[in-house]
Amino acid sequence: MSEEKKENNSGNASNKETAEASAPAEKQPAAAEKPAASPTPAASAAKPAAEPPPPPPAGEYGQALEKAGIPVKHLGKDASGCEMIELAPSDVIKGATFLRDEAGFDLLLSCTGVDWKERRESVYHLFSTKSHKFLALKVPAENDHSPSLVPVWNAADWHERESYDLMGIHYDGHPNLSRILMPSDWLGHPLRKDYKVDDPRLVWNER
Amino acid sequence: MSTQIPGVSTEQGLKTEDLVVNIGPQHPSTHGVLRLITTLNGEVVKDMEPIIGYLHRSKEKMAESRSYFQYQPTIDRVEYLSSFFDHYVYVSSIEAIAKLKVPKRVQYIRMITMELNRITSHLLWFGTFLLDLGATSPMFYAFREREEIFKLFEDLTGARMMYNYYRFGGVNADLPVGWIEKCRKVIRNLPDRFDEYEAIVTKNPIILDRTVGIGKLDFQTCMKYGVTGPSVRAAGVPMDMRKSNPYCCYDEIDFDVPVGKYGDVYDRYLIRIAEMRESVKIIEQCLDKIPGGDTQNILNKQAEIEAARKAAKERGEDPKSIPDIDPDWLTQGQKINLMIYKPPAGEVFTACESPRGMLGCYLISDGTPKAYRLKWRGASFSNLSVLPELMIGNLYPDLMAIFGSLDVILPEVDR
Repeated sequence: MSEEKKENNSGNASNKETAEASAPAEKQPAAAEKPAASPTPAASAAKPAAEPPPPPPAGEYGQALEKAGIPVKHLGKDASGCEMIELAPSDVIKGATFLRDEAGFDLLLSCTGVDWKERRESVYHLFSTKSHKFLALKVPAENDHSPSLVPVWNAADWHERESYDLMGIHYDGHPNLSRILMPSDWLGHPLRKDYKVDDPRLVWNER
Repeated sequence: MSTQIPGVSTEQGLKTEDLVVNIGPQHPSTHGVLRLITTLNGEVVKDMEPIIGYLHRSKEKMAESRSYFQYQPTIDRVEYLSSFFDHYVYVSSIEAIAKLKVPKRVQYIRMITMELNRITSHLLWFGTFLLDLGATSPMFYAFREREEIFKLFEDLTGARMMYNYYRFGGVNADLPVGWIEKCRKVIRNLPDRFDEYEAIVTKNPIILDRTVGIGKLDFQTCMKYGVTGPSVRAAGVPMDMRKSNPYCCYDEIDFDVPVGKYGDVYDRYLIRIAEMRESVKIIEQCLDKIPGGDTQNILNKQAEIEAARKAAKERGEDPKSIPDIDPDWLTQGQKINLMIYKPPAGEVFTACESPRGMLGCYLISDGTPKAYRLKWRGASFSNLSVLPELMIGNLYPDLMAIFGSLDVILPEVDR
């Protein structure tokens, strides 16, 4: 019961933040840092670009998915050249099956949750043992619910449990969605940005 | 006779019942704190459920509350047997985001230290794995060599196990004068020592009885559970990040990826011994190829340049006409202030081949001095998840052989 209460509270908090913040979350913290640029060359190199970046070009696997009739949001490439795509929760099982069977991504490396304050998403990192390429597959979690990819990659089992445990994303269809790293009676999800240690059993912590 | 109690069967007139054995969390053979809830039918494992998390130290949350440089010493504790690898993925992910140039000498120093670290990690595995099987003496042999390599590390970094040596775009300090020769001396002896181990262990009938044909892991099962590293190579697939996605300067080095045939415990043992031999080959080539050679050579060159500049100034020429030292010889690419270092906003996933498999680091930077999100993809986490699949239907006494052969290290599982 108490856990539900906690989750409700955190849900309200994130809703309030949504009302305040209208700009996209990724750019906001970087822009806030801009006036505080220090005189070191490294810090000035970190200055974000002023104009909004052009939409990232479609990558190899994003195009292949589009050709197969699965709507994809292209997110460009990360700093090490790994392609990033986003699939809607309704298409993710279809898209993931395509990636496994047709694009050759047979190894799921990790699944993790990312908290962007007003929304959360899970990020799957895939590896192909044939083409030796990495792929980041992002799935937005609507109301902290996301379809489980265990039917596609069995390796997602423990990784999704970890993501649920630490970030509180519920993977629908997961065979055993329980806490894995934290104790089973833990309250809240520690990797969330709004997580506060207010467990009454931990009062000794404040001494 | 007609009443059947659930879970209780009557075979040959004997009443038998499943036995639940709780192995761990404190168990000498689990190499950390791992709990295995095991259901036994006689000596056969019927069901197994690993319970992890006893070593969870919230390394990922810690990254969000410390600056990038402050977080670095804690990385050693993510995986304390081969922490050079964890440092490498962390440092290289920041280098990828900030597009920092890394001098070649640094790349070579990183390769040498990582391969030495791979040997120490495999040596510890060798000792403890055989200790689990009841052979006590290999441990002493393995630790003898391990200590020699640790002395090299202590000379280089000041610490035996918690190195904290890599920096963004460089390393903390150059090699000590004469270190390369010292390293050569240690490395030269190692293949003979490996022969010694193999003479004791490889054909030992007790070891063969305990390991051959046990815990077979094929490629499909590896992919099903995300198993990487020596376990998948023992299944006959040459999957190695150093070959397939070369990082540092592995593409300039000539080495083989040993593969097994049957994927059983014995093959995993052979693969690790063969990998240590390959690591020795890599280190020998790196020591020959390292730009600048011994540090004394670099110091001499710097003194030479300074003297030439002084002479040029006295002659009334521009001292800047004397060229700088080769940038590939330096131990720091771009000078940065580590304490307040802010990489630009962006995200990256970097991976390397650690002794246990594919080690990854997913980093999201928002342009502030602290990481927005950092995720460790430890190889042991996935490698451990295959254990129930391997154990169900096997004999309970094989647990330690199978679990030991996976080389799981619990701090990396729980982070």
